[in-house]
Amino acid sequence: MDFSLPAEDDPRRLEIREWLASHPERSYRDLYERGYTVPHWPRPWGLDADPEQQIIVDDELARAGVRAPHHRNPVPINNCGQSLLRFGTPAQQQRFLPPALACEEIWCMLFSEPSAGSDVGALRTTAIRQGEHYVVRGQKMWTSLADKADIGVLVARTDPNVPKHAGLSQFLVDMKSPGITIRPIIDMTGEESEYNEVFFDDVIVPADRLLGQEGDGWKICMQQLQTERVALSRPGVIWGSGPSARELLDGLIVSGRLADPALRDEAARLYIEGEILRLLAFRSLSDRMNARTAGPEGAVRKMVAAPHGQRVLDLAKRSQGVAGMVKDRNVLPISKAERGPYSNWDHAYWWSPAVTLGVGTQEILKNVVAERILGLPRDKDPTRHTPWSQLSSGVSGSPNEVGERT
Amino acid sequence: MNFALNDEHILLRDTAQAFLRKEVELQPLLVPGATVRDAGYDRLWPKLVELGWPALVVPEEYGGLGMSMVDLALIMKECGRFLAASPLFGTLAGSWALMAAGSEAQKQTWLPVIAEGGATFALAVANRDGSYEAPARAMSATARADGAVVLDGTSGFVVDAPVANRFVVAAKHERRDRFFLVDRQAAGVTIEPLAWRDPTRHVAHLHLQAVPGEALEVGVEESWPWIRDRLSLVLAAESAGGLQAVLDDTVEYAKERVAFGRPIGTYQSIKHALADMLAQSECAGTAMLYAAWALSDSPTEASVAAAMAQSYASDAYREATHRSIQIFGAIGFTWEMQNHLYYKRARCNAELLGSPAAHRERMLCLLEEREAEKAATLAALRQRCAP
Repeated sequence: MDFSLPAEDDPRRLEIREWLASHPERSYRDLYERGYTVPHWPRPWGLDADPEQQIIVDDELARAGVRAPHHRNPVPINNCGQSLLRFGTPAQQQRFLPPALACEEIWCMLFSEPSAGSDVGALRTTAIRQGEHYVVRGQKMWTSLADKADIGVLVARTDPNVPKHAGLSQFLVDMKSPGITIRPIIDMTGEESEYNEVFFDDVIVPADRLLGQEGDGWKICMQQLQTERVALSRPGVIWGSGPSARELLDGLIVSGRLADPALRDEAARLYIEGEILRLLAFRSLSDRMNARTAGPEGAVRKMVAAPHGQRVLDLAKRSQGVAGMVKDRNVLPISKAERGPYSNWDHAYWWSPAVTLGVGTQEILKNVVAERILGLPRDKDPTRHTPWSQLSSGVSGSPNEVGERT
Repeated sequence: MNFALNDEHILLRDTAQAFLRKEVELQPLLVPGATVRDAGYDRLWPKLVELGWPALVVPEEYGGLGMSMVDLALIMKECGRFLAASPLFGTLAGSWALMAAGSEAQKQTWLPVIAEGGATFALAVANRDGSYEAPARAMSATARADGAVVLDGTSGFVVDAPVANRFVVAAKHERRDRFFLVDRQAAGVTIEPLAWRDPTRHVAHLHLQAVPGEALEVGVEESWPWIRDRLSLVLAAESAGGLQAVLDDTVEYAKERVAFGRPIGTYQSIKHALADMLAQSECAGTAMLYAAWALSDSPTEASVAAAMAQSYASDAYREATHRSIQIFGAIGFTWEMQNHLYYKRARCNAELLGSPAAHRERMLCLLEEREAEKAATLAALRQRCAP
């Protein structure tokens, strides 16, 4: 056991630093071809890198002020790309992975629907096979990046005559296809919208865009969501991005507010929790790097990280008193390090109610942890074993009154 | 960098676990009226000596095993899991005091004896009011006319005092406080056992009246932080192990206990409480291992890491033991169930070296100092490099 991180003058660092310095004009394609985009993936996509090398690459890109590839194109890099390695055909890998990893084609995930949030398995968008293509009809919701994406990872129902999870399939859809309409959802921050609704009106998707076999959709989704949970559990307080508890403490010290006894112990607790999350993130990084399939342990980390982030932001905000209630980008000092979106305290604070909702609500996460890790009895989903077409909510299109989780 | 336990660690942990599972019996403590005398101190200690546990932290050049703090933490976690009752805490404390403050001759004399199980120790450093601050120290050492030093006064809350044959006692002495070696058998030693709520631990006040003491070389102020960080790790490891035991026990109960036709673990209020407990258990275990690593390998991080581990693990342990009794329901509140043993250990562990909040305050002060040093370095650099 060794918790030390690679030293500042580690030759592997120097090599990357040198390359970055001698390529000031590098593109995301250059980074990808160099292996820096997904260093932990197998060759030829990555470098078969161990955890240490992965941390070094991340650190050095951040130091050079490069916006991380996984922030620019998170869906293929963090969640869905690896599914192509397992389930994709060689032709699909060649067609989709290079432009995705080079950040030339942005991806989005088309999972949630108006009546299928926590219970994603109850989704209703259909993909009906007609000759050499599928016809997709339905509505997706809470889709990040839909407006910027070229490729959408779509989960749709291909067989209504089997129970709900068994009838799902996954597709790689051209987001510019005729019949797709995208509308932004204005969230409570009122800032640039993050999420979209996506409508599919008889969209034609070629059959070779099916990932794996028909009916594999649920299995693939679960792996992607678990991978996402690992990826999302970095110590930045908004799903791994944004400021951290360390920066809260630094900010409180520098601004002199840590002297306030009413904040002091709370700040100390949050600092400790943040440090522990940092250590847990390294541990899960090790697992991910060791090419272990992501397991439910990722859910434990997200379960701690999400409310931790809310409390960090809440304390940052409260340390400002009434002045913090004004829209203001500089509530506490913060370094200029590249940390992805939500990089100012104020925006992150008003965003924070979402972190216990996105990628599975906190309640669902706790169920997952209790059932899959602790082995507690599963709560029954009365819709789980009934063919989808026999559920009234499934065929009528009326709001899903069952509301059970999967 | 490697965040996983290696094969040797796993073997060490599993061996300790199998041994304690077989040897530690809580049953005698679950009889109403049971006290620490029923905890099995006397029965377990000779077996621990056989395993070489008193030698774990003693350096090899003094006849010990010189194991790393990670090794120790893994063993202490298992002791915490099974609530193993023995004078190991006091003896570790005494060993560390000798290592940090003893002269070469004192180390040569005592450490090999400890390593082979020939002496049990207790460290008397707290005051009668529970504080560790020097001004409140009510133990003082004075030189008699013949040159011998004698100790007078009271130390509070001395863990393992009733079963130790030697003490290391902090006392006021001339200009700086020092540690003194004291023999249990000396005239003027009075041990006042306390009705300590955790019946798996002996705790007592120590009264000395003109008792001869042999001064250790290094002062209390210089050596205590080093000792305290190690003892914090021991408590944090025990707490992490106890928390794990409570979690396992409560999960099993929630699977078996049926109410309204279903195991209570089916209900989300129970599930969510146990999921939270698991998360805190993971966090406590991680903080504790990090502190163990830092104490052996990263001295600049050690004090902060030890304070973090002790405050987090003891708070998490307190919370879990409360939740566990609630999930068991009224039966969990009875003396004959083991829930209360863990509940009491959790609370006592949280207070023994200062409260969790006090550990956090110390951590903050260290971090603030670090920040101030950074700022000072930066200011100095700016001044030097100014045009």
